[in-house]
Amino acid sequence: MSGSEPAPVEDRRDSWEGPVPIPSGANETFWEATLEGELLYQRCEECGTSQLYPRAVCTGCGTTDPPFETSEGVGTVYSYTVCHVPGEPGFSDRTPYAVAAVALEEGPRLLALLDCDPEAVEVGMPLEVTFWQVSEEAAIPVFVPR
Amino acid sequence: MAEPIVAGVAESDLGETPDRNWLDNAGIATVRALEDAGLALEDVDGVAVAGGNDYMPALVLSEYLDLEEPSVLEGTEIGGSSFESFCGHIGDAMARGRADVVVIAYGSTRKTGPGRDQSLEITHPVDGFVRPTGLFRPPGAYAMAAQRHMHEYGTTEEQLAEIAVSTREWASMNPKAAHQDSISVDDVLESRQIAEPFNLLDCCLVSDGGGAVVLASEEKARELGVPEIAVSGVASTSTHRQDISEMPDMTTTGAAVTGPKAFEQAGITPDDVDVAQLYDSFTYTALVTLEDLGFCEKGEGGSFVEGGTTAPGGELPMNTQGGGLSYCHPGHFGVFVLIEAVRQLRGDYTGDRQVDGAEVAVAHGTGGILSSSSTVVLRREA
Repeated sequence: MSGSEPAPVEDRRDSWEGPVPIPSGANETFWEATLEGELLYQRCEECGTSQLYPRAVCTGCGTTDPPFETSEGVGTVYSYTVCHVPGEPGFSDRTPYAVAAVALEEGPRLLALLDCDPEAVEVGMPLEVTFWQVSEEAAIPVFVPR
Repeated sequence: MAEPIVAGVAESDLGETPDRNWLDNAGIATVRALEDAGLALEDVDGVAVAGGNDYMPALVLSEYLDLEEPSVLEGTEIGGSSFESFCGHIGDAMARGRADVVVIAYGSTRKTGPGRDQSLEITHPVDGFVRPTGLFRPPGAYAMAAQRHMHEYGTTEEQLAEIAVSTREWASMNPKAAHQDSISVDDVLESRQIAEPFNLLDCCLVSDGGGAVVLASEEKARELGVPEIAVSGVASTSTHRQDISEMPDMTTTGAAVTGPKAFEQAGITPDDVDVAQLYDSFTYTALVTLEDLGFCEKGEGGSFVEGGTTAPGGELPMNTQGGGLSYCHPGHFGVFVLIEAVRQLRGDYTGDRQVDGAEVAVAHGTGGILSSSSTVVLRREA
């Protein structure tokens, strides 16, 4: 894994009422790193394909268990929506809130909650990752404007 | 090659069916569609079922209908486009002489049934990445795709609303439609915000109900003497599962692939299409599908739908039963686009509801979250 400054990890275990990730298989490494403020993705050594969510095979060439790299944790809003209806239990006090498809600088996209004024969000807006620890096992990536 | 003929179509009761389960609705739709074709249960060689609350739906429906030695059992689940996809698979089976009568069926109690909030999502590893974002699915995911389209092409909320308005005009002529009162663009824009840019009237309704389509071999159809509505082209594909972050390009769906293939197979171009039944889970779903099927240039869907292009009397009549936005939407809407396409080609309606001289129809299903696409070209044989 390449070295980059870990992102802040805020402990929200007491206040979080939303779903929590259940680490298993290829995801275990990913979620373990989140507790340390690291956002991982997989980058295949054979063909260079970058991917997220973690999988046991490379989607470019089929190589098994492509290794993890640490993302710089920066990217832009590829698209977004502002939810006025809560999509999950534990989100009803949060509406309206913005969720984005974040295009990471390294290539892969991931969905993430944005921690900012939802009306200020626009496509292309630069973002950086922070983490909210929501269980003993995982901290979810939450992006803020950069 | 021989083309399968749609010999009969029908819905079950729509709206709220609290005393029925999904299987009842699929079964009722099946027997009604068989009756429409002049056939009986004993004539059925097989079933193709998707969307039931069961992981072996073809077996369940075969047992429920007490089919004897069915030779075609299809249950490939690709969401709301499954039924269009079935048309291809069944056509292949018929071409090999394996069946003469196969029923495509769907039933649901999405609105009143138990377990409607249940989801298989928890079994998929990506869920740990999606659910903690709180994204309201499916609307929020489609909304994200619409937002990207607005960013790239300048599509406006007013243009999306035009689709809801035109669709409602069709619904106002359909006694079976859940919502028949007319609406304006402002009504859409002023309805409750759901997931930006969608308001409530950009979103499909939720209902119970079922539908069925009877496919017959050419030989069998001739015996029956039904109007010959031929399945002339079919193509299916997918771009991702249900995770909108994985959709390669949120402004282009699989319809860009399946449209040209199905049209080529049928020997037509978009200009030849008299009536379009395009899955409309949301206003954006129909808008992007119009573009991807080639009814207008990429990015011009917004201006294309302005001024009632898809409304009664418009250049391209679309979703003439009122669509998922106004007629019914029990979860997998794909079976209903086939049903309406057939009825228009048969000339079942009177007055403004009937598209004059409709000979070629396209029925397009979309499944998952813009994930799968299946296009069927139907043609009325002279």
